[in-house]
Amino acid sequence: MAALLEVSGLYKSFTISGSRALVQAVNGVSFAIQPGETLGLVGESGSGKTTVGRCILGLLEPTQGTIRFRGEDITLGGRRSKSRGKMQLVFQEPAESLDPRQRIGRSIEEPLVALKVARNERHDRLLESIGLVGLSEDMLNLYPAELSAGQQQRVGIARAMITRPELVVLDEPTSALDPTARAEIIELLQRIQGELGTSYLFISHDLSTVRFVSHRVAVMYLGMIVEQGDAAKVFAQPVHPYSVGLLSAVLLPNPELKYETTVSLQGEIPSPINLPKGCFLASRCPLVLQRCRDEMPAPENLGGGHIVHCFRHQEVAALDSTTDTFTRFQEEAKRILGVFPGEPQPDSTVAQSENQQKAESGQL
Amino acid sequence: MRNLRVEFPTALGDSRVALRDISFSLMPGEIVGVVGESGAGKTTLARSLLGLPPVPGRITAGDVLFRGKDLRALPERELRSMRGKDLSMVVPNPRGELNPLLTVGDQIAAIARIHLGISRKEARGKALDMLKAVQIPDPDRRFDAYPHQLSGGMAQRVVIAMALVCSPSFVISDDATSGLDVTVQAQILDLMRALAEKQRSAMLFITRDVGITAHFCDRVAVIYAGQIMEVAPRHAFFFEPSHPYTIMLLAAFSHSPELRHRWTVPDIRRRTLEGAAGCSYADRCPLAQERCRTVEPPLAQLAPGHFSKCHFPVVR
Repeated sequence: MAALLEVSGLYKSFTISGSRALVQAVNGVSFAIQPGETLGLVGESGSGKTTVGRCILGLLEPTQGTIRFRGEDITLGGRRSKSRGKMQLVFQEPAESLDPRQRIGRSIEEPLVALKVARNERHDRLLESIGLVGLSEDMLNLYPAELSAGQQQRVGIARAMITRPELVVLDEPTSALDPTARAEIIELLQRIQGELGTSYLFISHDLSTVRFVSHRVAVMYLGMIVEQGDAAKVFAQPVHPYSVGLLSAVLLPNPELKYETTVSLQGEIPSPINLPKGCFLASRCPLVLQRCRDEMPAPENLGGGHIVHCFRHQEVAALDSTTDTFTRFQEEAKRILGVFPGEPQPDSTVAQSENQQKAESGQL
Repeated sequence: MRNLRVEFPTALGDSRVALRDISFSLMPGEIVGVVGESGAGKTTLARSLLGLPPVPGRITAGDVLFRGKDLRALPERELRSMRGKDLSMVVPNPRGELNPLLTVGDQIAAIARIHLGISRKEARGKALDMLKAVQIPDPDRRFDAYPHQLSGGMAQRVVIAMALVCSPSFVISDDATSGLDVTVQAQILDLMRALAEKQRSAMLFITRDVGITAHFCDRVAVIYAGQIMEVAPRHAFFFEPSHPYTIMLLAAFSHSPELRHRWTVPDIRRRTLEGAAGCSYADRCPLAQERCRTVEPPLAQLAPGHFSKCHFPVVR
C-alpha cells in the first residue's frame, strides 16, 4: 500500500532575530502515514511536534528534507495546488481558534470559501459536516462563546472535515478539555475515521490517549524521532531510554498500575539552540556511554517498522519485565466500573454500545 | 471545614451558589486530592480556605477551622500574617505568580523575612536552602536569576519553594502541575510529597487529572456542582467507587467507549440547577430514580472513611 504521507529527512531551524544562533527545532525526522491510519506523535513541549505538523501543512517551509503527499512532492508551499483541502488542521484551544464575532456556521464553511466552492454547495457540505460531528442545525447561528468547550471543538472538527480531507493534523485536540469532553471528542474522531477512512497525525503529550487512539506512535525528543513503531508494542516494550522515561511518568487512574522501570531521567529537556554532538539524551540518560556523547546513534530497524536511535536499545529492552500496563489498566477499569445495578434505560444503552462498536472497529 | 457555602451575587440581585455544604478535615501530613471538572468549584474552594474567595464571591455560611481556630472569625490582619506562613498555596502558571522585576532568590527570601522575622542574611540562607530542596541545578547562580530566565518547570519549582519556605502546616495546590510536561510533573510531585512528609504539612491537592490522585494522595474527594459527591481513602476510591459521577469520571479516563456510555445519559435535558430539588447529578445519572429528583441525598458513610452522596450508591 502506498503511503498517504511520506516525510523524509525533515529539518527545520529558526533564526533568532538579532543573533546568529539557530533554534534547531526539527532534526532529521522521517515517517510515513498510511491511508486510514493514526500516527501518534508524542513528546514534551519544545520537542518539535507542532513544527513537524506545520511543515506538513505548508505553514512553515522546511530547511531540508522532503514531504510527499500521495506520491507528490509538496515540500515547498507553492506546489501545493493539488493537495489543497486534502489536509486539514484541528487546533488545541477550540475557543481561540474560532472567530468570536463570527457565527459558527460561517466559521465552519470558511475553508470552502477559500477553495471557491459555490454557495449552494457550501450549504449542503455544511449540513453534511455538522451531521458528521453531531451538531444540530439550529446551532449554526450561535457564536462560539455560547458553546461549551466540547462543542467548540466539534465546530473545529466540522470546519476541518468540510473539505473532505484525507489527512487531518490534530494538534493537541483534547488537551484543553475536561475528561468527559475529551472522551467524547476522541470517540468522535475515531467514529469519523471508521466511516471515512481519514488518516490522522495525532500530536499530543497525553500518552494514555495516544496509546488508545493510535495505530503507530513516534516519540520525539529535541526535534528527533527517537523511537517509532506499532503503538501497542512501543507502549508495552519501549526500547529507547527516553520512551521508557516518558512512559514511567504517566500516572494512570489506578493506584496499583504504573509502568515500573529502573530507568529514570534527570533534569529537563535542554535548549535546542546549542545541540550536543552525540545523542541528544546523553545528558539525562542513566545508561549513557562515552560513545553516546561522541556520536549520534544511527536509526536501527528492529523489524515491523519499529525504528530506534540508541546504541543500547538491547539493554533497555532487557532491563524491565514486559507488561502491557495500558492494556491491563483498561481491563481493570472494565472489571471495576463494569458493574451496573439494574438497567433503568436498556434501550439507550443498547443503541450506545452499537455506536461504540462502530467506533472501535474504526480504530482497530 | 464545616458546611462551607460560597455564593456569587448575580446582576439580577440574587446569587448563585458556587460551593454548598463542603465539610471535611485534614490530618497533619495527610494529602487529600480534590478532583472535579471545570466549573465544579475547585478554585473557589482553594481560595475560600484562605479566606480569599474569587471576587465577587462571598462565604455565606460554614466555618474553616485551622488547629481549632475559626479562620472566618479572625481579623484580616491576623489572617494575612498566617497566609504564606501557616497556610500557603501553589498555583499553576508560575510566571504569572512571580514578580518579573525581582530575582527569584529575593522573592523567596522576602517571604521568609516577613513571616519569620529573621534577618536578611538568614533569609537569604533559607531561600538558598529551599532552592536546593526543590532541586534547582546550580542554586547559587539561579538565586540571582529573574523569572524569565527560567524554564516553566524551574519556575514552578521556585513557586513551590516560596510556598514551602516557612514550613506551612497546610498547603493548597490548585492544579499546580497541570501545565508541566509529564517527566517534570513526576519530579515535582515527588518533591512536593517528600517536602510535605518532612515538614508534616497537610496538603489539599486540587486537580482535574484523576491519575495524579491515584499515585499521590491518601484520600480523594470528587466535587460536582459545588458539592462533595464522594470521598474515600485512595484504595477504596479507585477500586470500589460508589457514586455514579465518580464512576463516569473514571470511565472517561479508561478510553473504553463502551464503559463510558454505560455510565452516561444521552441527551441530557438540564433543569435549572438553581433551586431544583433533589440530587444535583440526577439529570446526568443513569441510575436516577424518582426519589433522586425530589429528595437530596445525604453524604452518607458506606464504609469507614468512605462517604457517598447518593441514594443508590454502587456497592460491591
